[in-house]
Amino acid sequence: MFRETDIINVVIAGTAGQGVITLKRLIEFASQKAGIERNFGSEMHGLAQREGAISSHIRYQKKVFENERKNLQSPLICYGDADLYICLEPVESLRRGIFASNKTSFVLNNRTIPGVMITADLEVYPPLNKILEILNSYSKKVYSINATELCLKQFQTNQQLNIFMLGFALPTGKLPFIEIEHYEEVIKEWLRDADLNIKALRLGYQEGKKIILS
Amino acid sequence: MLGNEAIVRGCLEAGVSYVSQYPGTPTSDIGEYFHQIIRGNPEIGEYLVHQWAVNEAVATSSCAGAAWTGCRSFNPMKHVGLNVASDALSVIALNGPNPGGMVIGVGSDPGSLGSHQEQNERFYAWMLHLPTIEPHTPQECKDWTKLAFELSEEYDLVINLRTSTRSAHSRGYVNLDPLKKGKIKGEFIRNIPKFNSLPPHAINNHIRLYERIERLRSAIPGLNLNKVYDGDNKIGIITSGMPFGYTMEALNQLNLYNVPILKLGMIYPLDYKEITDFIQNLDKVIVIEELEPFLETKVSEIAHFNRFSLEVLGSKYFPKSNEFSTGLVADKLATIYGVSPKKTMQDAIKSFNSYKKIIPSRFPTFCAGCPERATLYSILKATNQLENTVVCGDIGCYVMSFFPPQQCSDLIICMSGGLSAAIGMSTKTEQKVLAMIGDSTFFHTGLSPLAEAIGYDSNVLLIIFDNSWTAMTGHQNDVLRYLINKDFSIEKVCRALGVPWLRVEDSYDPKKLTRTIKEALDTKGLKVIIVKRECGLQAHRHRMDQIRYIRNQGRKVQEVIYQITGCQMCHECSRILSCPAIRRVEVEGYETMQIDEDRCIKCGVCYHICPNGAIHKSTINLLEEEVPFRNV
Repeated sequence: MFRETDIINVVIAGTAGQGVITLKRLIEFASQKAGIERNFGSEMHGLAQREGAISSHIRYQKKVFENERKNLQSPLICYGDADLYICLEPVESLRRGIFASNKTSFVLNNRTIPGVMITADLEVYPPLNKILEILNSYSKKVYSINATELCLKQFQTNQQLNIFMLGFALPTGKLPFIEIEHYEEVIKEWLRDADLNIKALRLGYQEGKKIILS
Repeated sequence: MLGNEAIVRGCLEAGVSYVSQYPGTPTSDIGEYFHQIIRGNPEIGEYLVHQWAVNEAVATSSCAGAAWTGCRSFNPMKHVGLNVASDALSVIALNGPNPGGMVIGVGSDPGSLGSHQEQNERFYAWMLHLPTIEPHTPQECKDWTKLAFELSEEYDLVINLRTSTRSAHSRGYVNLDPLKKGKIKGEFIRNIPKFNSLPPHAINNHIRLYERIERLRSAIPGLNLNKVYDGDNKIGIITSGMPFGYTMEALNQLNLYNVPILKLGMIYPLDYKEITDFIQNLDKVIVIEELEPFLETKVSEIAHFNRFSLEVLGSKYFPKSNEFSTGLVADKLATIYGVSPKKTMQDAIKSFNSYKKIIPSRFPTFCAGCPERATLYSILKATNQLENTVVCGDIGCYVMSFFPPQQCSDLIICMSGGLSAAIGMSTKTEQKVLAMIGDSTFFHTGLSPLAEAIGYDSNVLLIIFDNSWTAMTGHQNDVLRYLINKDFSIEKVCRALGVPWLRVEDSYDPKKLTRTIKEALDTKGLKVIIVKRECGLQAHRHRMDQIRYIRNQGRKVQEVIYQITGCQMCHECSRILSCPAIRRVEVEGYETMQIDEDRCIKCGVCYHICPNGAIHKSTINLLEEEVPFRNV
């Protein structure tokens, strides 16, 4: 369904310590292994330790046009252009919602992480079903799972959450031209606890197949 | 590679042998890459010196010093760093970096993504005659860094390689070239007219600077920095840097493939002929650039000089603040070219606007267990929530003090601007005036206002956060670390300077700190409280390493657990301390606060401050080895 010259647009959104940037780099490094010709994405630095909202854009093009004007030139996605939206935290899926449209597939970790203003009872966290309702108004491809809980149960830690969510997103087909083996190769070369992360990737992939392909 | 990594690679390919900088987003990671490379490659460490300077002016002069021995030196800084460096740079640019080469890498920050303010520092290019190159992709970052050094040496000019937060932190492929070994040692050769820009040499160096710039200007056509995309549309575009990327994709979105585009790699000096040729047959030219109109002013001038009747557009349609994006550029270009924007884009904006109100805020905040947060708690308690009190904030992690719920900072100026403002303010108000400064900022530029405050015995309470790290920018192994290892302390500095009222406190003892702040505010004249407690993040990392080490040896450690039972929901911990390790949850239908075990670093501050005694401390393995936070 994607042509090789198409520009693939992925948004990842989450909050501190969820591994947004690690996930972004993993996909980019895997795309290099997969022989993707152009790759240009943007990441956000400096807030990772400070409870802030974090998002990153991944963009790639398997084959470039001869006409430079049609090619990937910006590290930022245009409004409404996201093919895939990986949301590691529910309310963060709304914060970058401007990049979504009816062509977007959403994969959502539905475990909420309320910020300090919610704890202080000075702001309201919207109910999860309201968030899902908004996402569903974009497209029917909204796939939600409590990945944090699953990871805690399987691995006794939520460190693998981001990799799990990548695996979960693969069956959407919105990361074309990159195979699961490419991710595994990068994980082996580049991440600590490679075996655990590959396990998380595969587990996510299995769960994704169950929910997305059914 | 990231843009910043590519710049480092460019330096290594250019044979750079000296780098000095003060950390600041978006250029901090440049220094971190240099350190990694020096650590991992002893053969590079043989010739390459990287130093974290105490401030940008020091870094810039240090780089000039190295260049004047005939080496190539690189000086990264953030946009506001250039304000600090500009005094030194104005002279260095005049004198010229020869016999070596010197490049500054200024990271601008449209959209204020990691800065306390937004400014268009491109105008320094005009004022200081800084040839300025703006890369767009990581490949350009690498290639043009290398080129910048060649130009610097050839034309005796300090070159500015200007990125933005966006281009510095964008990743793409980079084709590499071989590394070049830098000079291990050079030699300074005496040249009084060149290096002493005082009368009469100052004027001669100024004249020589004009000549050097003109020589570079005439070389622009051969540099391949600028590029023209042909097209028969009568409305053309001139742009540079990251906005070029947004422009290309915006035109793609609008199906406009016939627009002539001039992409400028060098934005100062300009090749007037190139611009004249580009605009002469157009009806309109749009200049697409972030922040204040810099190129637009020059293009208008060129059009006016040639008596062209074309219209120069730019700031009339595009905002003069904040970062651009493909969507924004597409929207504006649709209006100018009279085409309709893509429906997907319009729908996306509409849908987002329909629900954005319900998105709760998620400001950056102090980490769980942060000693600075605990200090703010004590300030709020000691002043009855800042009653009749003004808090002059400053730059560091504590720049976040103004965010709710604590809202414990009334103003921010610049590095050490808080204490400076407090000196003046205290002469004109009966309110209690409190200023904050961190240890890194204290050495950056804080010593001077402190000396002044002592001299005038200003009625100010200065709180110095001594957490022993430059924490905000990512705990660089900077000069602060070297000072600490040399038995250097802020307390000794304060005593030597003659601070009349000085206390050293610990923010993990909030009740005592609160009493001390109260006492200070009841005392006339200058008071200084040094709050000594290591950055929670680093202290926790160190402690966990130690615990792991002990356990790996088969020994047990004493463990402390904090738990909440019988919470009265008074919100003391969530609104006044607001530690992110504390969460509001519902248990069996009742609301209560809960401590998130994963996040809590066991600083114990909440345990000390809970007015209802609902936070309990229990110790497991009481008789085993205790691993406290280290003293620094």
